[in-house]
Parts: sequence; structure tokens; C-alpha cells
Amino acid sequence: MIEVDGLTKRFGPVTAVDGLSFTVRPGHVTGFLGPNGAGKTTTMRVILGLDAPTSGRATVGGRRYDGLIRPLREVGSLLDATALHGGRTAWTHLLSIAQSNGIASKRVSEVLRLTGLEGVARRRVKGFSLGMKQRLGIAAALLGDPPVLMFDEPVNGLDPEGIHWIRGFFKTLAAEGRTVLVSSHLMSEMAQTADHLVIIGHGRLLADLPTAELIENSARRDVLLRSPRAAELAGLIAARGGAVTPQDDGALVVTGLDAAAIGDLAAAHGIAVHALVPRQASLEDAYLDLTEESTDYHGGTVTR
Amino acid sequence: MTAPARLSTTDIPNGRTASRPVPSLATRAGDLLASEWTKFRSVRSTYWTLLVALVTPIGFSALVATAFAGAPASAGPPPDPLLPEVLSLEYAVIAVSVLGVLAFSAEYSTGLIRTTFTAAPRRRAVLAAKAAVYGAVTLAAGELVAFASFGVSQAILSGHHQGVSLSGPGVPGAVLAAGILLCVCTLLGVALGSIIRHTAGGIVATVAVIVLPSILGLLPAPWSGRVGRFTLLDAARQVTALHPAANLFSPGWSLLVLLAWPAAALAAAAILITRRDA
Repeated sequence: MIEVDGLTKRFGPVTAVDGLSFTVRPGHVTGFLGPNGAGKTTTMRVILGLDAPTSGRATVGGRRYDGLIRPLREVGSLLDATALHGGRTAWTHLLSIAQSNGIASKRVSEVLRLTGLEGVARRRVKGFSLGMKQRLGIAAALLGDPPVLMFDEPVNGLDPEGIHWIRGFFKTLAAEGRTVLVSSHLMSEMAQTADHLVIIGHGRLLADLPTAELIENSARRDVLLRSPRAAELAGLIAARGGAVTPQDDGALVVTGLDAAAIGDLAAAHGIAVHALVPRQASLEDAYLDLTEESTDYHGGTVTR
Repeated sequence: MTAPARLSTTDIPNGRTASRPVPSLATRAGDLLASEWTKFRSVRSTYWTLLVALVTPIGFSALVATAFAGAPASAGPPPDPLLPEVLSLEYAVIAVSVLGVLAFSAEYSTGLIRTTFTAAPRRRAVLAAKAAVYGAVTLAAGELVAFASFGVSQAILSGHHQGVSLSGPGVPGAVLAAGILLCVCTLLGVALGSIIRHTAGGIVATVAVIVLPSILGLLPAPWSGRVGRFTLLDAARQVTALHPAANLFSPGWSLLVLLAWPAAALAAAAILITRRDA
């Protein structure tokens, strides 16, 4: 469980995180979303005790991070996979981290195997690809077998196979009852990984809700319509109270009437319909709507 | 790379609780020392800087001794066979300063410091562990260099009946004291590296702190001694010299001056390390 409570972090005149509160619960993969510069990394750094908050607090399992004894056994984290000394081997890098928390070297071998790096354990990390460095960072996060895990943009640099692997990996970790917080600026990525979302913009909370709910709550639902007598049908739809937006390719996008009503209307007037596609805003659209609002939002926070 | 099926986490032991016995302070200190030792021995810069720190003074002391030995008899023996010019440890100062600075600056410049501080949020303990590892190794290296330089230079000088014996009065203590210089400069580097967080800047600062005050020693007497007695390099000479200079502190006080430099820098580093964001 990660709790962020009224967290504010200012860097000089810049407010990176502004009165942010949310809770990350165990058993879920929670996506931490926001555009670049929204304050995701800063929030994670405050949770990890790297940056001191200007006000407010962040706790892990009810305790401040800097009060944890052997913190790697409580929280595993990956902030920046490229933060490595290139001259060290994967083995010595992980060993030095493990030793600092009294973790046996046997566990180093285990996490190297879990992340598929056992074959390159004795190679200098200088020659690692970004994907391999991500795996190494994930290996380091797993060293203490912690109940809470935090990853900042872990998908960057991974190949499709690696992305597939990491999604399954996060889900498995959450299914084991762990708290998993994964940040990303890509909604499409989170849609397939996270079952809960914390969305921020300009350091403020925009939404804190299950992924499915975000889609349902999305205001944008419309119907894509194609017909050889499109203009005629558009008039009929408008007469029934629907709003029609003609598209460049001749299709119509209808809001205010659902697909069934449009189909019935066309049939009643003997108008052929070539396509009738009910559309729901994708998660990406819902996310963009939210973060767009955040740019001209002045006041409290939008939740739900 | 590897098939996803192999990467499942099913063999991660699970279900641990927070109720775990709290390890003793000694255990935690041992953990940090082991970690820093692993970091220390696993990068090449450690070996390069130590190699330079070991070889240069020994080589220079052989050269200097040969020069004294080969000088015409009228030039007389070296004024003090234990002068730093003879033991030449000063030639290792830059190498060990670089070694010390890198302890923190390499982690700050790569971002690794954030991994270090997430693994060990008590930052002063990290500073202490690094200082202990780097200090212990360079103390051993410094003593090795001091005794090796002494052995080499005296072997050459004694061939010309100008040498002193290690068993001579005050000689073992003076050689031991000479060996401290490398440790002192390394610890100064560790402290300034953690304060400045930048390799080039840290090296410049460390060398400046060591060398620049000595320029004040060039002031006309009596100011040369009044100021010079507080400088790191003059203090190092005074603890080493068989015939201490009269215008400086006594060797005992000079030893305190010598140790006060890294102590003050480490104290400043300890204050700043918890005050700033990593």
C-alpha cells in the first residue's frame, strides 16, 4: 500500500506536484499516468525519500520511506534503468545492491534468471541494450522480494517480446497480492496492463478510478454511418434530434441517436446502410480528454 | 532473449509479513561496508588510480635518491632523508584525490546515487561506509608506498653512506606518518565529491584545497610559517620530517591539522548530504 497525502513539491518557482493525494492498493496493477512533466517521476522520488516534499507526505505500508530498515525488502523500485556504472557487470551491480540490504547472493542469481539475464550476468553493463538495462533494473527491484513495487516508465526501450513479458510480469506480481505502481505517459500501454488508474496533470490529480470505469464514463460515444444516400439520411437523423458530422470520406458520425435507432430509421425509409458502427471513445481518447482539460483547469481537482 | 514462460514469477517466495526481526546496527553497518566494498573493487578506475598512486611515488623516490647520491660530495647529503621530496608521496596526491572524488561523483553523474539512497535511505551511513572503505584501502596503500619508498631510496642512499636505518630514532613513526597523506587526500576527495557531485569539479576542488593554501606558505616570513602551519601539505611534511621545521606546529599538532582537513570536509558533507534532494 502506497499512500500519498496532500503532497506538494516545488523546485524554486516551479510547482511539480501540487496537493496530490491518492492511494495505491495491493493486488492491482495501478497505472500512474500523465503527460510528460505532469509530476509522475517527482512523486515517485518523494515516495522513495529521494526528494523531500515541500508539504504533505508519502508513506509505504504506513511508514515514511527513510524510516524503513532494509527498505528493499519493503519496496522495490526502478526509476531510471540507465542509471548504472557502465564498468560493472550485471552481477556486481546487483550484488552491491543486495549486500546493502543483507540479501544473500543466491537471490542475485534468482533475479537474474527471472529477468532472463543469467547469460549476461558477467558482462559489463556498458554493452547492454536499453531493453537489457530495463530488465536489469527490474531485477534490482525484485531483489528484496518486496510487497510493494514501483516502476517509472518501464516499457521504454523494450522490444515487443519484452513488452509482452513485462505486462504478464506486472499482472503476476499483482496477482500475488503485491502493490504494483507503474508510470507511463502512454495510455495505450496502461490500458493493457493496469486495472486501476491514477491520472495526473500539472501535478494535480485528474482521476483515480478503475480502468474500465474510465472508458464507461467517457462522454464520447458515437456511431459511424455509411450510406449511398447519406445526405437524405442525415436530414432524417437531424429531424429525430441526432447530431450529424459529415466526414471527409463521405461517412457520417452521429451522436444523440444510437445504432439501433439509426438502423430502424434507415429501414423505415428504405435507405440502404453500408456501415453502422457504434463507437466508444478509446481509453486513449478518454485520457486525452482528461489531460486536455487539465491544461486550462483552474481550481480544485477532478475526480471520477 | 528468453521465452516469456521462463520469466514467470511463480517461484518468487511470497506471503512475507512486516514482522521481521530488526537487524542490529552492527549488521547493518556490515551490510553497507560489504556493498561499498563490492562497488569499490568492481570498477577499473579503482585499480588505475591505485596503480598510479603506488608506482609514481616509489619511482620518484628512487630517482630523487639517485640524484642525491650522484651529486658531488660538496653538495652534501639530503638535508632530511625523510623529507616528502625523498619519499615522494605527494606525487600520488592527485591520483588518490581522483579515486576519492569518484566514490560519489561517479554515482551522481550516472544517477546510480538514487539506487544507492533507495537501498540505504540513511545517507550519512552511506557516506561513512564509503569513507571507511576508501580510507582503509588508501591508508594501507599509503603505508605500503611510504615503506617501499623508504626502502628503495635508503637502499640507494646507503650505498653512498647517506642513508638512515628504519630502526633509527623517530624513523618508523615518521614513515608511518608519511603514509597517512594518501588516506587524508582520498577522504577529502570523498567529502568534496559528495558535496560537488561532479567529477571534474570535485577533482579541481580537492586539488585546490590541498595545493592552493600552500601558495600562502610562499608569503614572506614570519607569515609563511604562521599560515603555512595550517596547510595540509606543510602539516604532512612536518609529521614526516626527521628534523621538523621550527616555524611550523610541532609534529603532534601538525598531525591534528592534517586530520582536521578531511574531518571538516566530511562533516560538511554529512550536513549537506541529507539536506539536498538526490
